[in-house]
Amino acid sequence: MFKYSLTFLFSFLLVLQLNAQKNTEPTQNEIAQANTIKESFQEDNVAVEKESYHITFDFNKSDQKVTVFEKINKNLINLDSRADIQAYCFYDGESEIESFTVKYKTNRDADYPVNDEAIKSRDLFHNDARVKYVNLDFPLKGYKYATETVKKYKDIKYFTSLYFNDDFPALEKQIIVEIPDWLDLELKEMNFDGYDIKKTVEPNTKNNSKIYSYTLENVAGMYKDESAPGPSYIYPHILVLAKSYSYGGEQYKIFESTQDLYNWYKSLVNSLENNNTVIKAKVEELTKDAKTDEEKIKNIYYWVQDNIRYIAFEDGIAGFKPDEASNVFKKRYGDCKGMANLTKQMLLEAGFDARLTWIGTKRIAYDYSTPNLSVDNHMICTLMKDNKPVYLDGTEKFNAYGEFADRIQGKQVLIENGDSYILNTVPVSDASENIETYDYKLKIVDDVIFGSVSKKFEGESRSSLLQYLNQLKTDKKEDFLVWYLNKGNSNIGVVDVITSDLSNREIPVNLDYFITIKNAISSFDGTAYIDLDFEKELSGYYFDERKTDYILDYKKHLISTTTLDLPEGYTVSELPKNINASSENFDLSVTFTKQGNSIIYKKDFKIKNAIVKTSDFETWNVFIKNLKALYNEQIILTKS
Amino acid sequence: MKLRLSLLLTLFFSTIIIAQSKDEQEARDFFWGENDTYKTVVNVPEKWQNESAVIIYKNENYDFHKFGKKVNYKSSIRKRIKLLDKAAVEEFSEFSYQKRFRVSKGVSLGTRGNNIIGVKVIKPDGSESIIDINKEAVEVDGETKVAIPNLEVGDIIDYYSYSIEPFKSTYAFGFNPVERTLSEEYPIMDYKLFFETENDFFINFKSFNGAPELKKIETDKKNLRRYELTESDIEKHKNERWFFPLVELPCYKFQVFFARSGKFEKRADAFLSDKEEIIKTSVSKEEVLNQYDDIYPYGDLKYEERFLKNKEFASDSEKAIAIYYFMRHHYLTRFIEAYIIKDAGILDYPFGVYGNDATMFNSDNTFLKHYIAILKDNKIKCDLLVGKKRYDGSLDDLLIYKNLNTLIKTQTNPPVYVKPFGPHTTVNTFDPTLEGAEAYLLSPVKRWDYDQIERTAVPVSNYQVNKTNKNIAISLTDDFNGFSVKSVVSYTGHEKEDQQFDRLIFKDYVDEDYQKYETESFIKLLRKSKQEKYRNELNAVIEKLREKQKETFVNSAKTEYNLTNIEDYTYSINETGRYTFEDPLSYTEAFISTGDLIKKAGPNYIIEIGKFIGGQIDILDENKERDENIYMGYPRSYQYSINLTVPEGYTIAGLDKLNKSIDNKTGSFVSSASLDGNTLTIKTSKEYKHNYVSKSDWQLMINFLDEAHQFTNEKILLKKS
Repeated sequence: MFKYSLTFLFSFLLVLQLNAQKNTEPTQNEIAQANTIKESFQEDNVAVEKESYHITFDFNKSDQKVTVFEKINKNLINLDSRADIQAYCFYDGESEIESFTVKYKTNRDADYPVNDEAIKSRDLFHNDARVKYVNLDFPLKGYKYATETVKKYKDIKYFTSLYFNDDFPALEKQIIVEIPDWLDLELKEMNFDGYDIKKTVEPNTKNNSKIYSYTLENVAGMYKDESAPGPSYIYPHILVLAKSYSYGGEQYKIFESTQDLYNWYKSLVNSLENNNTVIKAKVEELTKDAKTDEEKIKNIYYWVQDNIRYIAFEDGIAGFKPDEASNVFKKRYGDCKGMANLTKQMLLEAGFDARLTWIGTKRIAYDYSTPNLSVDNHMICTLMKDNKPVYLDGTEKFNAYGEFADRIQGKQVLIENGDSYILNTVPVSDASENIETYDYKLKIVDDVIFGSVSKKFEGESRSSLLQYLNQLKTDKKEDFLVWYLNKGNSNIGVVDVITSDLSNREIPVNLDYFITIKNAISSFDGTAYIDLDFEKELSGYYFDERKTDYILDYKKHLISTTTLDLPEGYTVSELPKNINASSENFDLSVTFTKQGNSIIYKKDFKIKNAIVKTSDFETWNVFIKNLKALYNEQIILTKS
Repeated sequence: MKLRLSLLLTLFFSTIIIAQSKDEQEARDFFWGENDTYKTVVNVPEKWQNESAVIIYKNENYDFHKFGKKVNYKSSIRKRIKLLDKAAVEEFSEFSYQKRFRVSKGVSLGTRGNNIIGVKVIKPDGSESIIDINKEAVEVDGETKVAIPNLEVGDIIDYYSYSIEPFKSTYAFGFNPVERTLSEEYPIMDYKLFFETENDFFINFKSFNGAPELKKIETDKKNLRRYELTESDIEKHKNERWFFPLVELPCYKFQVFFARSGKFEKRADAFLSDKEEIIKTSVSKEEVLNQYDDIYPYGDLKYEERFLKNKEFASDSEKAIAIYYFMRHHYLTRFIEAYIIKDAGILDYPFGVYGNDATMFNSDNTFLKHYIAILKDNKIKCDLLVGKKRYDGSLDDLLIYKNLNTLIKTQTNPPVYVKPFGPHTTVNTFDPTLEGAEAYLLSPVKRWDYDQIERTAVPVSNYQVNKTNKNIAISLTDDFNGFSVKSVVSYTGHEKEDQQFDRLIFKDYVDEDYQKYETESFIKLLRKSKQEKYRNELNAVIEKLREKQKETFVNSAKTEYNLTNIEDYTYSINETGRYTFEDPLSYTEAFISTGDLIKKAGPNYIIEIGKFIGGQIDILDENKERDENIYMGYPRSYQYSINLTVPEGYTIAGLDKLNKSIDNKTGSFVSSASLDGNTLTIKTSKEYKHNYVSKSDWQLMINFLDEAHQFTNEKILLKKS
């Protein structure tokens, strides 16, 4: 039966039960207001008239921690005919939600139930993050609610930043931070350039504090672009640098300097037992037949990559303190910290100088000049070899020794060094190190294109392909490889695939095969029209609505050369025109040349920094538009 | 006092903990105890070395015991699996389950159900480590997750899940039926299914398609019964298109019923064995007839009588049809606005507006009895058509009562078939999965009791009626970079119902019904002073639904024609098709597409005209051989008429490739192209003639499917004159 016919008989109530409150319907003015706001924020269905964050601090004598209270008030207005949204607030083991209220515009409590759920993450097997939320329905355009949440951070360490942009656009966003005189706190203004953020500082003589107030008008909602840079790059925000506090006439440090941050991290590391008894035999096994130090290191590093599964438990201090190497070894799983620590301990056992290393991946804009828990999100191991650091990241799979994943390249690292630390930067590689080379040698017989193909993958293009192939079921690998090469298109036949050793991460991946392409040639009245490209790389990357830079997983360099031998008796009557474009971030070109009785079609796409910046979009989009037109153009052969 | 309370609590909790650990020990002994003959099996056959994983032993157990009304139901599964690659290690490296769960059967005894999990990892050298689940697990919001430590390629993971569910049932209680193939995603070396029951538990069980029979194991207790089914060397099976695994692969089906006395046995919604010690393996037609004892005319007919008053019908068939559609509105579509209003949170309880007049059917049987009652009132006799879905095997293999589907067939000329309704259900419409299936026809001989039964077959609809029809008018945009497309689309027969749910929002059909039956809309039933407010809010819901609908339709057009850009999309409904099986749901959509399906060729253009019939099935080489028969939903056809306006100054070349014709007993693909003035007309027709095709005719199907797919590759040249 139809799903609605679940209820049998309804009671005989004649009076309607109303949940809607009196006088909550929007007035004509409010509807007009919604229409006006919508003009500025066309993509959004709800806006915030006024949003204020009010931050105050307290001191918890029992555990000697500075606590933070964050009161957030939002006046929401519906811009569409109707909207159904969730108002929410996150918390975790280090914070709690003290209150969560929703009111109608009449100031009466809307009395919606507050749900409380654990947050499930694909990346984290278990974490302590939770969310409290309310399902809000706005039945009409111009309908309003006011929400208020009060969140308490039990330790100021975990209160790291304040952003102006939120899910919904705000006509006015105000951030007020009331700093007591016993607390030394710096509010570092990040990405403020280009925004008219009004700032005032006023003393509050009642409680000897200073009130910092920041106001920004017409704040856009957070962008919904995929492959965007991390928020710390693109939004104006305040980095909260809690330096020290005074209590009972004494001053106590929080994170006044990078040394303080390091000291805290190091204190967690120092509490590890590092009983390596269980790993000794494995280290011995991995190193005993190695002829050189480098071979020993590789054997250990690759063993960690291949045998430790990434499973992360981010629960309380486990989010910062590495697991014991022996545990990770026994369990054969761990998070980045666990893998870094196991790599370190195994290398130490093998007689090398290895250190734990904190790093913020390229998703984070900061370096260690701003000591704060949000500057890093990752841990690797640094091997000091001949006084030079070599970075080993056990979470990377099929990463060759001496190569570094793009996500850590150019980033500052904080390397363990006893009581002090070393700051260094991960070397940056060139896009050409990740080169993909495709070489098609094709002929035409009876309107079918056939020939041989040779593809070569190096650097990160190699490791990402190897990683993908190695996670497939053994009985599906062969089919997948064909599917990968013909894009699931039955017009393209792929046979006799010969591969290089797909378990060796140090040599390029080579794929050699024979190809047959049907339906790529259309013949009309003795003229053949050829669609020579069935990969059409980059054709979907036209950024017309995008607001943010486009970030790639790694720097790309593709050189694809197709040599097409012309059939006897045919001449080329039309070849598409060559195109190219260049900027600081890319060099792109497509050329057609005629050489003897062959056409050579070459694509050379180099995206040098794994980024296409919004400032590049104009040049980029012209090229992509031309590229799409070129892909759509046919090579025309006429019978001579 | 406080001390006593805490002492009591301690005792209480320790009792729970002791009971829990007792169950844990029991589960562990059951699977991994001394009698475990698989303890030392670590090798897998050479022929399966290239698999991702091989199941060394799979063991499923069902244990039914009772004490009076109290039932203790245990079910468990164990798998011992050799992991041969990283994909398998990844798949078995994490488990999540509910340790304690709400009992869903009978009446809860106040205790929760208990899931016990056991996992051990066996290394290639035979060394075993049992995972301490309580130590490794994390529980959040009732979900327990375990990451399996020290699991590597080449290891064996041996795990069990043991579920204990106690409940109470005074009346007969049916456990969920189980219908499974022996094979699964990984090959299995040894398999055992095991039952343990006692009196008051009735088992229906049968093996099919060559699966071994269930065997009785002798026990030393009269009241205790044990059975097992064992099999070895089971190849994995892959998921094929158009395939019903239960019809062809070795499989078993069973259902267990708990009935404490003859009185309850009789009332059970099941075909029960005469005695508990006899496993029921078949159901006779007499038993089917007996089971329909409770279908008799029953219902308050005043609304139907009022509806029929002063109405004349050309025949009893017409009358039966009119009653059906009246009921569909009176008991369902009349309330849909109220449901929408409730779901949207506009009113918590909108049904009050109907006063004491809001009656709906809570089960299929209530509907059947009510409809029979109104037929009886009008002296129209009717039969019951009782069938079993095609994917579930033949009628002779009937074992489980829930697998039967019931329709009413009037004894009129022509007969009218009706089934319990949804908002768009039409008369003379059978569930496609029932069509062509063998069925029973139950007829009343004496009065209105169903006392005669005979075999029949459910009629099959044909491919001409189950049709998608598209008339597509295409013209090029001025810049020759795209197309303006206008399609008039209609669906009839079985092609229609899914589309009605996708293409219509409630507003599109409730108004139609209000008008037809002269009923007031929800808003009109409200007090005048309230009407404007709720009309506005309901209109806001409609506006939002239309916006979302448009997004969906744009994406659907992009997918259908393989387009990246669509602009200026418009959509309107022409007919809803809700009153007969044959009437079409029809709509018109129009849009501008740019950048796709047209390629520049010097001064000329190549148009990928074949793509306008939408994506066609592409049978890849690996699927060209087939060992299984072909089971489809229903016979169907797709008729397209594509009309392209040829721009001035251009001619068309390449029409010859658009003329195709493959027609055989399984289906056809026929296309033709003609030019009339500046209009190119292409007509295509694709027919799947039957809902079943023998595997020996697979190549015939491939022939027309490939031809249709090839058509999508065809292009025409727009040549500058």
